[in-house]
Amino acid sequence: MAINKSRPKKPSKLSVYLYIPNIIGYVRVLMNVYAFAICFTNKQLFCILYFISFVCDGIDGWAARKFNQVSTFGAVLDMITDRISTACLLVILSQVYRPGLTFVSLVALDIGSHWLQMYSTFLLGKASHKDVKDSTSWLFRAYYGNRMFMAYCCVACEVLYISLYLLAEKPTEHLMDVLLSLTKEISPFSILVGLSLFGWAIKQVVNVIQMKTAADICVLHDINKKESP
Amino acid sequence: MAINKSRPKKPSKLSVYLYIPNIIVSTFGAVLDMITDRISTACLLVILSQVYRPGLTFVSLVALDIGSHWLQMYSTFLLGKASHKDVKDSTSWLFRAYYGNRMFMAYCCVACEVLYISLYLLAEKPTEHLMDVLLSLTKEISPFSILVGLSLFGWAIKQVVNVIQMKTAADICVLHDINKKESP
Repeated sequence: MAINKSRPKKPSKLSVYLYIPNIIGYVRVLMNVYAFAICFTNKQLFCILYFISFVCDGIDGWAARKFNQVSTFGAVLDMITDRISTACLLVILSQVYRPGLTFVSLVALDIGSHWLQMYSTFLLGKASHKDVKDSTSWLFRAYYGNRMFMAYCCVACEVLYISLYLLAEKPTEHLMDVLLSLTKEISPFSILVGLSLFGWAIKQVVNVIQMKTAADICVLHDINKKESP
Repeated sequence: MAINKSRPKKPSKLSVYLYIPNIIVSTFGAVLDMITDRISTACLLVILSQVYRPGLTFVSLVALDIGSHWLQMYSTFLLGKASHKDVKDSTSWLFRAYYGNRMFMAYCCVACEVLYISLYLLAEKPTEHLMDVLLSLTKEISPFSILVGLSLFGWAIKQVVNVIQMKTAADICVLHDINKKESP
């Protein structure tokens, strides 16, 4: 009796959970949990852990492709870890910086825009939300057309948030005071924050545009359904 | 020339945006609903995390809320938009009890919001210790402290369900890939 060896063995659920990129994902989660547990007592360690987690974010994608272990679960784990770690950092900042609504609003914008993006991507049949065809916004096309620019904007956000976190010395700080104090003496650090501020601003504007585009997709989905039931 | 009146006019984008919510069910309305829920709960938890120590308590609840609902939504899409509330193969009795009984589910959801609002109202100083505040409620039994106690119970169940839901949804993501490998 010939044994059929040409058909690949179906992976078990556990084996997918143990894919290398997914294990990297779990390590990221644990690092974030520990980092936020010590974020008020050890600022340098927090920054190091947060940075390593950020680097792992790129590594797990590379590992998935290299080891042929791309998985839906891995992609979702990645997205959720990004969203939650950014949200938690913004929560920390909202505890320190006044006005308190500033960083609360940024949490709302981040979650809202990514949620709508993901929903509309599904409605379009999982074509990547980064493939934008019909946006009339030059900024939108510039952002998604140039991956280096997009990476700069994403990294700029994280750098800005971490910088503000490091700059906070008192339990409560006024955001504008802290930013203005940077302009008084031009240092490499203040230049870094300035550059981050620019990339951050672009990313937030793109988030807003993305929300509108994604909402349109939801609406058009219903309109087209009415056309051809 | 007869005018074709039987075919309904295609609604414009603007008219869908102006639908009175939930009178006409729309995809956009459902997503708007979900996002508003998530963000308003998250913002309330952020406010509570600013007041109550330990600070990580409410930050963790934000993480759990966002994470579990995100995974739920993703897995619902993978299953082809059958509602995530139709649970067939969960071995958890709590899960089945939760989703099987809509009144119970409503109680748990409302309990969460009541608990958070109660804690928000109870805070008098800029910084409060959560356990102190909760324990002070047990010292004098009032209608309010009973309300908080009942909310605490429903809140706890909802958080446990959130955790189980994350695992179930993750399984769906994994099975989706496994089944794709089966029949490419």
